[in-house]
Amino acid sequence: MNMKQLRRVWNRFRGLSSARRRNEDLIAELESHIQMQTEDNIRAGMPPAEAHRAAMIKFGSLEHTKEHCRDEGSLPFLETMIADIRYAGRSLRQSPGFTVVALLTLALAIGANTAIFSLVDQILLHPPGVSRPERIVVIRTNYDKLNLSFDVASPRTFADVRGHKEIFEHVAATRPVSFNYAGQDQPARLSAAAVSVEWFDVFGAKPERGRVFSIEEDKPGTNRVAVLAYGAWMRLFGGDPRVLGQTIELGEQPYRVVGVMGREFGEPKSVDLWVPLALSSEDIEGPRGRSENLSVFARRQATVSFSQADAWLRVAATQMLATVPPAARRYLIDAGWRLGGTAFADSNAGTNKTPLLILLAAVGLVLLIACANIGGLMVARTSARARELAVRAALGAARGRLLRQILTESLVLAIVGGTIGFLLARGGVELLLRLAPESAVAGLEAGEDITVLLFTVGASLAAAVFFGLVPAWQTSRVDPGAVIKSGGQTASMAAAQRLRSGLVVAESALALVLLVSAGQFLRSFTQLQRIDPGFEPRGVVTAAYALPQGVWTDPQKQAVFTRSVLERLLQAKGVTAAAIGRPIPFAGGYEGSAFFIEGRTVVSGEAVPQAERRWVTPDYVRTLGVRLERGRFLTDSDRTGTELVAVIDAKLARQYFPGEDPLGKRIRPTSGEGSYTIVGVVNHVVQSNLAADTDRGVYYNSLFQRPAPVGFILVKASGEPAVAVGAIHDAVQATDRNLPLYDIKTMESLLAESLSPRRFVMQLMAIFAVAALLLAALGLYGVVNYVVAQRKREIAIRVALGAERKGVLMLVVGQGLRLAGVGVAIGMVGAVVSGKLLESQLFQVNSFDSSTIAATAGVLLGAALVASYLPARRAVRVDPAVTLRYE
Amino acid sequence: MALNKRDKTEVWQGTLALMVLKTLDALGPMHGYGIARRIEQISEHLLSINHGTLYPVLLRLEQEGSIRSEWGASENNRKAKFYRITKSGKKELAVEEREWQRAHDIVGRFSALSKESV
Repeated sequence: MNMKQLRRVWNRFRGLSSARRRNEDLIAELESHIQMQTEDNIRAGMPPAEAHRAAMIKFGSLEHTKEHCRDEGSLPFLETMIADIRYAGRSLRQSPGFTVVALLTLALAIGANTAIFSLVDQILLHPPGVSRPERIVVIRTNYDKLNLSFDVASPRTFADVRGHKEIFEHVAATRPVSFNYAGQDQPARLSAAAVSVEWFDVFGAKPERGRVFSIEEDKPGTNRVAVLAYGAWMRLFGGDPRVLGQTIELGEQPYRVVGVMGREFGEPKSVDLWVPLALSSEDIEGPRGRSENLSVFARRQATVSFSQADAWLRVAATQMLATVPPAARRYLIDAGWRLGGTAFADSNAGTNKTPLLILLAAVGLVLLIACANIGGLMVARTSARARELAVRAALGAARGRLLRQILTESLVLAIVGGTIGFLLARGGVELLLRLAPESAVAGLEAGEDITVLLFTVGASLAAAVFFGLVPAWQTSRVDPGAVIKSGGQTASMAAAQRLRSGLVVAESALALVLLVSAGQFLRSFTQLQRIDPGFEPRGVVTAAYALPQGVWTDPQKQAVFTRSVLERLLQAKGVTAAAIGRPIPFAGGYEGSAFFIEGRTVVSGEAVPQAERRWVTPDYVRTLGVRLERGRFLTDSDRTGTELVAVIDAKLARQYFPGEDPLGKRIRPTSGEGSYTIVGVVNHVVQSNLAADTDRGVYYNSLFQRPAPVGFILVKASGEPAVAVGAIHDAVQATDRNLPLYDIKTMESLLAESLSPRRFVMQLMAIFAVAALLLAALGLYGVVNYVVAQRKREIAIRVALGAERKGVLMLVVGQGLRLAGVGVAIGMVGAVVSGKLLESQLFQVNSFDSSTIAATAGVLLGAALVASYLPARRAVRVDPAVTLRYE
Repeated sequence: MALNKRDKTEVWQGTLALMVLKTLDALGPMHGYGIARRIEQISEHLLSINHGTLYPVLLRLEQEGSIRSEWGASENNRKAKFYRITKSGKKELAVEEREWQRAHDIVGRFSALSKESV
């Protein structure tokens, strides 16, 4: 487009606003033209009347010129659109009831969709601060025969995979570490990640300030450097840039800060800082090189697909097996050991993936119901305006123009509704982040991004087309003559009514599906809450500690610490029992153990016995209310130097000692630290997942027989949790003034947190179901109301002829209930299908749960009853004389 | 191939635009009626136009910035809108004239063709 054309478009665009003035100007100019011609003609000798006529003829069609100039003068397409928008605005303002209901429905549906979508987007599609997340693969170790699978790998595996640039552009490993940081008034615990040099490359993350680690720094001895996470930089240093190059003390070691990461990047989740992993060749080649304790992330080459990378890992694993010493190799082969890949997004979302998708589907159904509802409203509105439209059509308005006008009206609704919805969504995301389980949404922010914006725009446009087309299609079939003659009631009106009824049936069916699903989630949640975890969480408070190197390096000193803290705790007011354990139930730790049973030969090709292992102090069972079933629990006299003992739980006893007495038997962990004599049996305690307990039992060893620098303090106290928390603080401070405590929580909240993903899904499903129910009821109300208005005359005649009001009431209500009933019947079929899809997320609830279905169908029909009764009551209250006179 | 109505209008508008610009360039500011009369006179009434067709052309030229308009008084002291060519209009006119001359020359050469000269 050249300058000239550009100038023209600009002027035409400006012409839009000054249309009226321009038009007056033109008329004046044309008049003066005709006048001048007329005067010339008179001067040439014509009589005045003839002169004017000749001038007009000479000029040609005045109207044509005006119209031509109008078209040239502005942008006719835009001008019509503006006129349509103005018209739509005017007509929407004239029926505020319709407009408000339609806008609210749309805004809520779009808002809820956008909010859920932005969560799904951040968790599944675009984790913040990560570039091209689809190319990141997490290396996964599987023990197929043990039914175990972890997103971890050994240093040896990491070293082997790292070299293969043809498959992976970058490979990096990480291990969680934490430091006591004494830089502030209160000692603090910082959670950090020890990462190998390519860590930030794998995620495509760039530092905000300074730099990331060099290859030299990823080596033992030169690794005292740290990169701060943005949040920690703000929190600990107030965002002071001078921290770069400074030395901070972490775990009583000096670390130099070399960089600050960008605000968004936080992998692994919720870390405060990164330090180099600095694996030595001994770490890789030595005996510990095979223990699977690293999380390994790899970015695949652009040319390598995910399935190729996954297949390559499988093949690589068989080659790695060849280098393993024979005895260990047999164990690995028997356990079905292999490597594989998990897509980063899946690993990132973890078990939250399916619930998120379910929520997305549910909220999509709500949007669908909302669209059907607005479609119904629009149909009703167009029916009511049939006369007006018919008159306009009869006056010569083109069908296309009328269609365009109605579509414009829906577009205006959709855009306004979408805008309100987008604003609502911002609040919605914040609400979701508060409701959602901490683990799923750590590091997420309620910011808007382009994908979400596109989604909202797409959703509102789809809605506009959907509910704009229905009435538009309907009007296009209107015969103006018939409409005007019949006073607005024609066959096509009846068709419209059928269409509305159809929409209401669909709404009820969808609402029932949502109600049933919500009901199933609710039931499975109550079932879960009834489960006995095998211990009594009430009144128990936990706190974690980690003793720093230096003073506490010696295991004997660590035992002294443990005893000292426990003694002080027992003297504290209100404390009834205290213990230390590692790991403890529902706190996220995991310690698995494979062991041999002395006197039994391991059958080749069969997996070695598996269990979970806990290191605890003697009062552990009393603190948690675990029941001793046989023998004795660990006592204070089980110390270093005395016979190594173990207490197993009932599950392990059933699994490996069926029909025999486990007491006195000896088990030997494959880690090779000696044999433990079984001295007692306690009841099984669920360790991490109420819905799906592992199939492994638990055995307990005495923390006094092998002291450790880390652990969880468990205190049972009467009264407020704050009392117990205070007691723990006092006891620890009295032993080591600088030791920070972290993860201070009540046992009950740990249990509740383990259920929080399910609670989150249940709550949202309930909200969606209630919204669906309200929308469906609103839709039904609209239809019945309309029917009543249409049949006013018929009802009046019936009443005048002596029909009982009750009969008329039943007639109208019956009609509403029939629609809802058909919807419920269809919805039940839908509920069966959705039940199958939800099966994996339900707990002890049948996928076809007849009592839930019956109850929700009752609720829906009840709502339908109310929705039809209100307009029906109005119908029978009508005084027939009044109605008939006005008709 | 026959030109459709739209194309015909465009061609007519283009020709008329050139005549309007030339008239304003040669004779100075003028109102719409005056321009119409001049075009008729100069074309020696061979070209008799509906005066109304002139106004969309004037509007277009004004939007393109080739001419400018202003209300003033006519010779008979009647209120009239006067048009005058702008600098960019003059440039535009020169370009258009050259193009026309070229087209004219080419057509002229073809007209002069006789069977023998091929």
